[in-house]
Amino acid sequence: MTVDAIHATNVRKVYQTRRWAGWRHRGADGGGRVDDGAVEALSGVSMTIRPGERVGLLGRNGAGKTTFLKIASTLLTPTSGEVLVFGHDVDRDADRVRPLIAVVPQEGKPFFHLTPREQVYTYLRARGFDRTTAKQRTDEALAQMGIEEVADRLSVTLSGGQRQRTMVATVIATEAPLLFLDEPTIGMDPFARRAVWECLRRLTRKGSTILLTTHYLDEAEALAERLYIVDRGRVLVEGTADALKHRVGGTLRVSVPGGDAVRALFAPFGNCVADAEAVHVITEPAQLNEIMDLALRHGLHATVGPVTLEEAFLRAVGRSIDDEAS
Amino acid sequence: MGAFARLPTFRGLGPFLITELRVQLHENMAVATSMTIQAVLLIFVTILAPQYLAVALVGAIIFSFFTLGQRVWNEAAYVRIDHRLNQLYGASPLAPEAYFLGMAGGILLAYLPPILVLVVVAEAILHFSAATAVTLALTSVAVWLFAVSFGYVVSTVFQDMRTIWPYASLFYNLFGILPPVFYPYGLLQPASAVPIALALPPSAATGLVQNALAPGLLSSGDVVLATGSLAAEAAAMFLFAVYWSRRSVRER
Ligand SMILES: Nc1ncnc2c1ncn2[C@@H]1O[C@H](COP(=O)(O)OP(=O)(O)OP(=O)(O)O)[C@@H](O)[C@H]1O
Ligand SMILES: [Mg+2]
Repeated sequence: MTVDAIHATNVRKVYQTRRWAGWRHRGADGGGRVDDGAVEALSGVSMTIRPGERVGLLGRNGAGKTTFLKIASTLLTPTSGEVLVFGHDVDRDADRVRPLIAVVPQEGKPFFHLTPREQVYTYLRARGFDRTTAKQRTDEALAQMGIEEVADRLSVTLSGGQRQRTMVATVIATEAPLLFLDEPTIGMDPFARRAVWECLRRLTRKGSTILLTTHYLDEAEALAERLYIVDRGRVLVEGTADALKHRVGGTLRVSVPGGDAVRALFAPFGNCVADAEAVHVITEPAQLNEIMDLALRHGLHATVGPVTLEEAFLRAVGRSIDDEAS
Repeated sequence: MGAFARLPTFRGLGPFLITELRVQLHENMAVATSMTIQAVLLIFVTILAPQYLAVALVGAIIFSFFTLGQRVWNEAAYVRIDHRLNQLYGASPLAPEAYFLGMAGGILLAYLPPILVLVVVAEAILHFSAATAVTLALTSVAVWLFAVSFGYVVSTVFQDMRTIWPYASLFYNLFGILPPVFYPYGLLQPASAVPIALALPPSAATGLVQNALAPGLLSSGDVVLATGSLAAEAAAMFLFAVYWSRRSVRER
């Protein structure tokens, strides 16, 4: 029996903000509930990640993604619940967990007064790699992240995306068995993002496990084999991108320009949402002919596309927001 | 996977110390200007009261080690708050104690050259006796240990850099300049302030060194007080920082 890379059971986190800060800033925010200066960031999160998986953690700002990543990577004490990393309790047995993990922190920056090459190399050395391995891994990681040309300039002179690439290079170079990446591609151009995806796929082929957060849903879809959507400290849904899309009610989206009249016309074919310009019908391929027919007869210009993960996300989280409001 | 299977204390100290040293050496202006306060005070003493130059010179050496604590305070907070690199190192096989001591040690090595210049100048002028040299060396180590440990520990309670600047500079200048660090104990008024000064790390150190320069300056009771409090404060603060470095990896 192989042991899970991450096995989290009912993890809760209540941040205690200082009392004086509490009375000054009391009030609800976008994420957890605020009560007398205490913020419940996680209210019972459970998840299981098997070795070699690439898993994405999605959710609105303040949903609790970073909080979960910090707890699972031994950087934050949970209020209750348990996280096992390769069978070791992150709270009681952090010394056994830490050699097995590496973390790209949210909004992290490399040492400004080191070059990317120095940054990656010295980090590997501090983790205990010998000089030869460290040098070889550094060269590989810099090449994979496409920052060789700037590898010998001080990081303070690099662009935001180049700095972020340096952070990712530092962490992927470890090839640690479990990598936590908190918004690793923020500020990166589309080429750099794809380079990160390729690196992460290669690492999981070699046996590493990856848990990442992102607000780019195309990235989540391209990269993660399984997704958890969290909202207000709870797991809303879990599954593959396809499974999440099926939950929306179909795999195709037909968009027809128009307002309420059009909406009424197409309502029988599936889930309808309207925005300022058009009505979007979520439907299955089997019904496509009928819908297009109807549109033609009414002289409406319909366009067809696949349902995106973004739509599935907006629906899943939107429903949760509505539930909370009512 | 990292090469460390288990985590004995201070594992990874050498490589992390070198990392921090490299970071510091890129900031050569900061190193070059680190002697400004000491130089200004020494010039004042030379002009106003040249008879106290010996005392001021050894005081400047102790003060230099003391203010390294302020640099550790700032650096540890900056790396954590602005760069979040503490997370990179916390979630790694590097021992948290090695992170603390490596940072303090890297800063020490970077700032040592100007201090050594000061020592050479002082030696050329004063021709230290063996007793003075030994006292100066031991008290410098104790003051450094206390200062960097204190700096590291308090750095962990701050949430943003702006709030740190006034506190850090106030603390190190208050305790490094107000008590008899740059001036002789004989000038400290009222006399009841003497035991207080002897109980504070930088002035305890300068008290002992001044006593080595002019044997008999301090009573044997005062020597015991200064030695005891300096040793106890340095040891206790260092041990607490070692404990705290591990405990503070994990936020609450
Ligand atoms: N140190 C803290 N003290 C008090 N509350 C906190 C602290 N850190 C986070 N929170 C709160 O906990 C909740 C979850 O925050 P978290 O950083 O985990 O969100 P996130 O999902 O990572 O959001 P984002 O997408 O914006 O990064 C938020 O309501 C946030 O305000
Ligand atoms: Mg976050």
